[in-house]
Amino acid sequence: MTGTVIVTGAGGVGKTTLSAAIAVEFAASGHRTLVLTIDPAKRLADALGLARLGDEPTPTPTVPNLSGAMLDVSASWEAIIRRYADPDVGDRLLVNPYFRAIADRFPAAQAYAAGERMAEYIESGAWDVIVIDTPPSGGGIDFFRAPATTGDLVSGKLLKWLTGSHLPGRSLLYRFTAKPMLRIADTVLGGPMLSDVADFLLDLRTMYDALTTRSKTIERHLRASRTVIVTTADPTPLHETHRFFRELTHVDIDPVAIVFNRALPADWSDAAARPLRGVDDPELRALAKANLRAWGAEARRQGDAMIELSARYGVPLITVPWTSPPPDSADDLRELVHDRGLVERLA
Amino acid sequence: MTATTLTFVTGKGGTGKSAITAATAIDLARSGRTVLSIDMGGSPGLETHLRHPGLSYRPVETRPGLWAMTMDRATALDEYLKLQLRVPQGAPTRQIAGALSVLADTAPGVREIISIGKPIYETWRGVWDAVVVDAPPLGQFQSYLRAPATIRDLVPTGNVRRQADDLAATLADADVTDVVIVTTPAELPVRETLEALAILDRESLAPPPRVVVNRSLEPSGLDASSVQRLPAGGAARAAAEMQVAMEADEAEWRSAVDHDVELPFLRGVLTPHEVAAQLADAMRPPS
Repeated sequence: MTGTVIVTGAGGVGKTTLSAAIAVEFAASGHRTLVLTIDPAKRLADALGLARLGDEPTPTPTVPNLSGAMLDVSASWEAIIRRYADPDVGDRLLVNPYFRAIADRFPAAQAYAAGERMAEYIESGAWDVIVIDTPPSGGGIDFFRAPATTGDLVSGKLLKWLTGSHLPGRSLLYRFTAKPMLRIADTVLGGPMLSDVADFLLDLRTMYDALTTRSKTIERHLRASRTVIVTTADPTPLHETHRFFRELTHVDIDPVAIVFNRALPADWSDAAARPLRGVDDPELRALAKANLRAWGAEARRQGDAMIELSARYGVPLITVPWTSPPPDSADDLRELVHDRGLVERLA
Repeated sequence: MTATTLTFVTGKGGTGKSAITAATAIDLARSGRTVLSIDMGGSPGLETHLRHPGLSYRPVETRPGLWAMTMDRATALDEYLKLQLRVPQGAPTRQIAGALSVLADTAPGVREIISIGKPIYETWRGVWDAVVVDAPPLGQFQSYLRAPATIRDLVPTGNVRRQADDLAATLADADVTDVVIVTTPAELPVRETLEALAILDRESLAPPPRVVVNRSLEPSGLDASSVQRLPAGGAARAAAEMQVAMEADEAEWRSAVDHDVELPFLRGVLTPHEVAAQLADAMRPPS
């Protein structure tokens, strides 16, 4: 039985680093662990002893039991098309300019591809724990909504509009309803865009049944996983955290913890008010005091944010300390989350 | 009145681009310019930094000379059809709007051109001294800049094509358009900035961007040796060690990217509006 951990949060809060840290900690306690990441910092890949993460899981040389894989979105889409479309439809889709645009840009596409990969790895049975660093689009919330959204894309809402409601065959459909309208629009807009789009959507639609079935499976996996939300004291991550709690309940997912990243020691809040003993040099004393005042103000801001988060959501708030420079070895990564009660909640 | 300037503020998520957008707009308004700031992304960033919740497609004056609006694709599409494509009277407007909205969900470039068309159209109107845009984050932003070219590849003729040509010309005009990339002095934002600079340079989609390094720690005057003289185990020592380590780490990333402006990391209890106002102060230091 594979356990899945999903790490979400706004951009820039340290999701990727924490995903890696959680994975290292699981691997260190003997679990066969896979971390699936989106765009790791070079320093992070180095920390895991990997020159570059590839699309396929690669064992890390530095941490036993741990493998990493990076999500290559276009490769994932290609795999999805190959799996669910008829071969000739698949060939057409993969060279279609609209398909490329959707694969690269449609926000749910990246998220859907991530979910698809997750499901594959869960079903392979090769891992005890899979840690997923969610894609940045929509602050990661897309990841949870993607199965449904992708269904909508191919379900024919658009097609219905383009082609009329219930027509049996493609040629008929063009002749009687869509075509004249498409021609008018094409004349005004210029070029054969709409007819091309209609062709594309019709091809995509042949995958509809398979994709909806698959989406339901992915949703089931998502509900069975454990989700943590990473935040800092900054307004955007806090806002995203509020949004996550609001929206995750709609998809039946209850986060198990909030991780407050880059936390300062609580005692810095009022440290500048206490006398600084044992420093004779007045200049150094002044500099140290000024520095402590600046960080103390930041620590108080963090304290406020933490109190608000704890009061509001009733899930454990786990603090991970601010380290500088950022972690650059597997040990540093493990240190971030070790003995903080986080991994215990995810097991 | 001189020509309207158009500034796009982009950057990796979490670097503070909404704050910089607001600060830039506040700074311009303080110097007596009439400014329109546009949130293109629908995030709450710009409106909280301007302390004006509930922005809509219709610009409102948030303080003297500073107007703000947020993007709404449906309305923008409507406006694009009427004002930009000049769809003739008697044409089946509803069908064409429907067609375009399908295209916007599917075809490359259409959604982007409708969104990026709005600030450019506001620039053409000649009623603002400056238009400042809280643009989509890096990664997405490039596809907005590419949209006119993408459309030109898809559509050989017609109004959409003509419109795309005009947009591309304004985007490339260094007298009008200005791109600001916001980064912080850290690995990932700097790396993304460098990648974006290379792409923009290669594709010549817009004039060379300016880079702002946001959230730069102000030098504390402490160094590795003075830190050693602080009592071990105390908060003063720990805070000084962290400061010195961060200053060194930040210096490395700041020097990795050519930049025009450094803005401070504002520590402490600050509302988003205070952040924007203080960043605007920092943009124009008292002489």
